[in-house]
Amino acid sequence: MADKPKIRELLDESACAHNKSKQSPCNAPTPGATSGGCAFEGAQISLFPYADAAHLVHGPITCLGASWETRATKTSYPGRDLTQMGFTTDISTSDVVFGGEKKLLSAIDYIMAHYTPEAVFVYATCVTALIGDDIDAVCRHAAEKYGVPMVPVHAPGFVGSKNLGSRIGGEAALAHLIGTKEPETTTPFDINLIGEYNVTGDLWQYSPLLGELGIRILSTLSGDGRIKEIRTAHRARLNVIVCAKSLISLTRKMEERYGIPTISLSFYGKRDTSAGLLAIAEALGDEGLIERTKALIAREEARLDGKLQPYRELFKGKKAVLNTGGNKTWSIASALQDLGIEVVATAVKKATEADRQKARETLGEAGVLMMNPGAEQAKIIDDTGAHLLLAGGRSLYTAIKKGIAFADVNQEKKKSYGGYDGLLNLAEDLKNALENPVFENVARRAPWEK
Amino acid sequence: MGEVSHRSIKPLQVNPIKLSEPMGATLAFLGVDGCMPLMHGALGCTSFAKVYYTRHFAEPIAIQTTAVTDVTAILDGGDYSIVEAVKNITRKVTPSLIGLHTTGLTETKGDDIRQVASQIDFPLVWVNTPDYEGGLESGWGKATRAMIEQLVEPTEAIDDSKVLLLPHVSLTPIEVEKIKEFIASFGYEVLALPDLSTSLDGHLGEKQAALSSGGIRVEEIRGLAEAGMVISVGDSMLPSAAALQKKNPFLRHHHFPHLQGLAATDALVELLLQETGLSRPHPAIVRWRARLQDALLDSHFSLGQTRILVAGEPDQIAGLCASLHEAGGRVAVAISTVDSPQLERIPAARVLVGDLEDAEALCGACDLLVTNGHGEALAHRCCKALVLRGFPNWEEVGNQLKNDVLYEGGAYFLFECANAATAAREGHVGSDRSDQKKEE
Repeated sequence: MADKPKIRELLDESACAHNKSKQSPCNAPTPGATSGGCAFEGAQISLFPYADAAHLVHGPITCLGASWETRATKTSYPGRDLTQMGFTTDISTSDVVFGGEKKLLSAIDYIMAHYTPEAVFVYATCVTALIGDDIDAVCRHAAEKYGVPMVPVHAPGFVGSKNLGSRIGGEAALAHLIGTKEPETTTPFDINLIGEYNVTGDLWQYSPLLGELGIRILSTLSGDGRIKEIRTAHRARLNVIVCAKSLISLTRKMEERYGIPTISLSFYGKRDTSAGLLAIAEALGDEGLIERTKALIAREEARLDGKLQPYRELFKGKKAVLNTGGNKTWSIASALQDLGIEVVATAVKKATEADRQKARETLGEAGVLMMNPGAEQAKIIDDTGAHLLLAGGRSLYTAIKKGIAFADVNQEKKKSYGGYDGLLNLAEDLKNALENPVFENVARRAPWEK
Repeated sequence: MGEVSHRSIKPLQVNPIKLSEPMGATLAFLGVDGCMPLMHGALGCTSFAKVYYTRHFAEPIAIQTTAVTDVTAILDGGDYSIVEAVKNITRKVTPSLIGLHTTGLTETKGDDIRQVASQIDFPLVWVNTPDYEGGLESGWGKATRAMIEQLVEPTEAIDDSKVLLLPHVSLTPIEVEKIKEFIASFGYEVLALPDLSTSLDGHLGEKQAALSSGGIRVEEIRGLAEAGMVISVGDSMLPSAAALQKKNPFLRHHHFPHLQGLAATDALVELLLQETGLSRPHPAIVRWRARLQDALLDSHFSLGQTRILVAGEPDQIAGLCASLHEAGGRVAVAISTVDSPQLERIPAARVLVGDLEDAEALCGACDLLVTNGHGEALAHRCCKALVLRGFPNWEEVGNQLKNDVLYEGGAYFLFECANAATAAREGHVGSDRSDQKKEE
């Protein structure tokens, strides 16, 4: 039987610098008091949007059976969208006993014969990692056999959180894809978009603007990505991190290895989109490009302002409480402000120190930064007279109870809120939420309760 | 009956319909009032199940994880992470029961959860559900059986007014309620184990609970052995019925492979008339039988010329296919997630264990697909009519209130399928789909 203190000690690595400030050190999840995805899910998220690659999950059915076709990561790939397909070895008891490598290789053979992908990602999962299947060897063998990249991804769920998994996914792309091919041509304005997964088509809200400026997206990791392009990513002039933190170690290594500098930005809301475009132009360091970018920003902002005018009338004097995580704690807040909505509170429970600071700057001194939003948000709605709650589905009950409008900004989101045009989508959704009588109706008492 | 193959010959699953045993066990525990399912595995196992069911039912789903890490995967036999999890759960809420179930990970490392459970001083049911064995149905069945074995008090007394329903996993909350009411109309008090009809039926509660709200109560489970009659629906529930029979040799067990269509419902009525000595069922049931007869006639024009592909869990597709067949629907292909004795009974030209890739290869000659939400993309690509049934369905709302069982649900199901097939034949589906494709 395991020695309890020993496990506790191993999880509490005292040498870690962050150990002093964090309750659960080294990101160890607490049994019975935790939620959120695992490393495998994170690796999926970071790599699945390559629609021209097959994603083969080597494990029992849960890992893939419950997770395929869950993310709306759109692609313009003209072939069959392999992101929206599920491939799994669905290992059985005998594979657990005798090893699953043979089955894995047969599965790769099957995929190559029937789908001819540009690459195959092979994901280890808890069970196949534990039984010691050598997916590296299988991938090496298959890569030689087919002359196509076979990328082993070592992110079994038990190694950590979703965030760690995304990083592992990035590492796998760095080790097996990036730098394995030369681009046909290069331009002085080649960039990589990192951490952009094109959820609901976010990338397409701003990529035409980059194109208009003459900035070429050489590759993305991995929204609307192509295997051929990510293999040439080492020739880019700039890495642009679109989502705040999960792939920082990848860009750091690309900087060390290939000398590619990195900037980090967001494309949510008018001000962030403008600032983001300008930051890219400035980082590329071309005067002409900067001038063109400024002109384009002025044009786009004017166009957007015209379209937003009717919404601003409607949103005048409206207050919102925002309960979400990560960089959304400030990026959506800033988008709401662009719409003329006052953000009275935002949740910073799931945000990093840098995100918290940014949230403070965005909301100003009067804004509340909620550390425990589940408990705090109802009272804040009462105190401030907020009209709108933007959160994940779980907070729906708070909105019903308070009889105020609700908009889901996490899982249920079906439309893109990115870029200038995404802000119009957000405005329309909020208008619909504010005008919807459903919350009043749901709160109605039954005749026998009056 | 046509050709039946019980095993898939592929080395992989492509576009699986299959779900795992831990997923089934989770759902079974959610059919108990105030229960907290506790999945013994890594974070992701639980997170996937939670998100999956939250989207399918559009309800908050109670579930917790023992959060096995790389360290505990190797060094812990479950003693640390399970005991710690129970401590942390009970610190915040007081469940009536904790439903501890394993995953492939913790089965592979060989945790002895029975031994760990014996150290825990809290109402808890444990069950081994490796996800490299069986599937959704067997996971649900195993958890039900575990609740019977570990909670039900043995007795030799019989309460003839009491009936226990053992429903298979694919029966929706409203279907369980309809079957309970149907049996109750013969004068019985009816309980269901598990009972999603009062927990995941989509009712708006006073507040959002952190535990399952509604479902059979733990005290009620303890007393189940005195039920005079046990009715199991779906072959996956036979082991649970057998476990209950062990608790009381005098209870009478009756089994129905499914309760869809005229013949199956007639068989249930016949049993209940025999048991009660009544000569006629409630007038409403008589009316609904006549309506189903009329529905069979009204829908047979369309269904009689429709070739159908059905894919899903074995107990579920057995019922769907039987019901369609009664109205002349030609089930060309029935695809099951896993093997089951049910496959031999399915009235289809071809029955196989497989996935949606197999469905895609075989749907050429079919007009109508009856399968889960993953079938949406397939129907789109192949320009087929689609009726969505089974887990998951993220495309539509209202899954918990879809009723296909007994005379009443049978009528609605036939109408829905006949209408979908007619619309497809008249080109509505084809032209809609090609328009969408152009837009894309």
